[in-house]
Amino acid sequence: MYLRKFGISILGAVAFIFSSLSFADETCMSPYMAKIVGQEDYVYVWTLGVEGLGDEQDKLVTIDVNPKSKTYAKVVSVLSVGGRNEAHHSGLSDDRKYLWAGGLDSNKIFIFDVHSNPRKPTLHKVITDFVEKTGGVVGPHTFYALPGRIMVSGLSNNTDNGGRTALVEYNSKGEFIATHWLPTDGDLRGAKKTGKYADGYGYDVRVQPRRNIMLTSSFTGWSNYMMDFGQMLQDGEAMKRFGNTMVVWDLHSRKPKKVLDVPGAPLEIRCAWGANNNYCFTTTALTSKIWLIYEDDNGEWQGKAVADIGDPAKVPLPVDISITSDDKGLWVDTFMDGKARYFDISDPHNPVQVYEEQIGSQVNMISQSWDGKRAYFSTSLLGNWDKTGEADEQWVKLYDWDENSKELTHKWTIDFYKEKLGRAHQMRFGAYSLYSSTTDNKKAVTLLDK
Amino acid sequence: MMINIFLKCIFFFAFLHPTYANNDLQAERDKIKSERNSLAVGWRDNLDFKLPKPGSYKLYNIRESGNGKVIDEKGNEIYLHDAMKGKITLLSFIYSNCTDTNGCPLATSVFYKIQEKLKNNKKILSKLKMISLSFDPEYDTPEVMSLYGKDLSYIDAEWSFLTTNSMDSLEPILENYDQPVIRKYKNDGSYDGVESHLLRVYLIDDKKLIRNIYNVDFLHPDLLINDIKTLLLNNG
Repeated sequence: MYLRKFGISILGAVAFIFSSLSFADETCMSPYMAKIVGQEDYVYVWTLGVEGLGDEQDKLVTIDVNPKSKTYAKVVSVLSVGGRNEAHHSGLSDDRKYLWAGGLDSNKIFIFDVHSNPRKPTLHKVITDFVEKTGGVVGPHTFYALPGRIMVSGLSNNTDNGGRTALVEYNSKGEFIATHWLPTDGDLRGAKKTGKYADGYGYDVRVQPRRNIMLTSSFTGWSNYMMDFGQMLQDGEAMKRFGNTMVVWDLHSRKPKKVLDVPGAPLEIRCAWGANNNYCFTTTALTSKIWLIYEDDNGEWQGKAVADIGDPAKVPLPVDISITSDDKGLWVDTFMDGKARYFDISDPHNPVQVYEEQIGSQVNMISQSWDGKRAYFSTSLLGNWDKTGEADEQWVKLYDWDENSKELTHKWTIDFYKEKLGRAHQMRFGAYSLYSSTTDNKKAVTLLDK
Repeated sequence: MMINIFLKCIFFFAFLHPTYANNDLQAERDKIKSERNSLAVGWRDNLDFKLPKPGSYKLYNIRESGNGKVIDEKGNEIYLHDAMKGKITLLSFIYSNCTDTNGCPLATSVFYKIQEKLKNNKKILSKLKMISLSFDPEYDTPEVMSLYGKDLSYIDAEWSFLTTNSMDSLEPILENYDQPVIRKYKNDGSYDGVESHLLRVYLIDDKKLIRNIYNVDFLHPDLLINDIKTLLLNNG
């Protein structure tokens, strides 16, 4: 391979570009995006409103996370959006000027301006015609930056509220471009079905641009994700309506190439950063396994289960995962037991768990800094799936991670119920250095990144 | 040839640009050497994957391209849209003293290689316009842009090197294209030039619609030519 032949690293190229800018960022976002490789200034938490708590609305909560700040570890901004939408995931534009955040129930997409004043985001635009524009896609989930565009993965559709869905492409102005439906048995759209399933379900989307590959995973439709969790577990028919596939796409042409069987609801996708590491990981929620999606020696993309997460028989329910920037470690959060597990993935075909820690009674998302030294955790999975009673903790926690001693150290907790905020879900980072190189970083400058 | 272009850019930077006239050339050479191990895909001859057949895929209408007053190499004020001349256009924002190996020099190199690869295909070349537009009008006067482009477009291709007459003229264009730039400011708040930028190249069709946006991860002449052919095939 050309890249291998010359030992050239795309990551190295990207790192070089960013190096003079002190950019940094989580390790799990688009490779097209500016990176924060140093200390992040803020964490933006897309938060579900809770009936009877505070203003009851979904909101973007801004936490000051710069240790040098006088308001370190404090909530410094709360921006409510006027109702409850089943707030879920969010994603930054490639220039990190805007944060897109979706409502899985209302199908609204909120676009926040996080660059004009990173400490106090404002609501820039609300997309309210997602279902109509896309031809019936429901549940805007992942917001993934492409150059000048955002790829949105849907979870459902407005025909049967099931799992068949699509990728939806918007431009950076928030204008609809195209809908790319996932392949099904009835319409494979030119893709090759390699196993038993071609369910057309969706969840996450990631790319490996150097291989011209885009990957999607599969979860479940509106009729399930809005159902009471306990009720759904007792509903045999509902439990059949989970995704069992991942799809390999041609990134450039947006055409599906191959449907892989990955049974048990493969959720988050994290691709390796290294120039020769042509693989990605996912975890299956229902079967509690780590899967490796990789390019074999013949250039074919394959999928295989490579490790168990906890005891699959106890259904720990793996949720968010996070790969380290050196591709050597993978964090796996399991919702039911509230644990974070760290796997050594130096050999991606044989992940080995080397650490685990009880984070709380429930845990969902994890966002780690580029250097891996800080890991932020949050709690909420879905409004109707979160635990109840005392087990329904809602917080954001920061831990320091020592790679040498393999130890998490708790730094602080912000209780989202005590603060009357709601259920804490997706966390994204912000930094003044993204927008200006002035020493006075609060000075408004033309935007920027790299 | 690729290296020639790169060295030419550095030569320009090192010797011709007034801001950097006194720079130490050896330091620049060392920098180039150290950066050679992190070159983007666009510096290489071949892509690492097989491209789809031209015309076999769709390039979606992303949005209308932005317009605004610009200045050509001779100092004439024109509209950016007029500079496109109704042709399929590749637009890149650059600045002449950019030393980011994978930034402006890459974009310039890719444009250069596109015209080289198409030099025997007059049918396509005649329908293509390439524009390098500075986002640093304070330094990049028409004279500087003319000097920057001198000798680059020596084949029968249309390649313009444009600037603007002020930041006020430039900013709306940058805003429209969402072209991010980090600018430097001195302690007294005065402007101190461009710190860096996000490399983007825009493919604009003959109706002035943006049909693709490229960045450092896949800015490669073969891929851009593939898309140009696709536009020509899809548009008849």
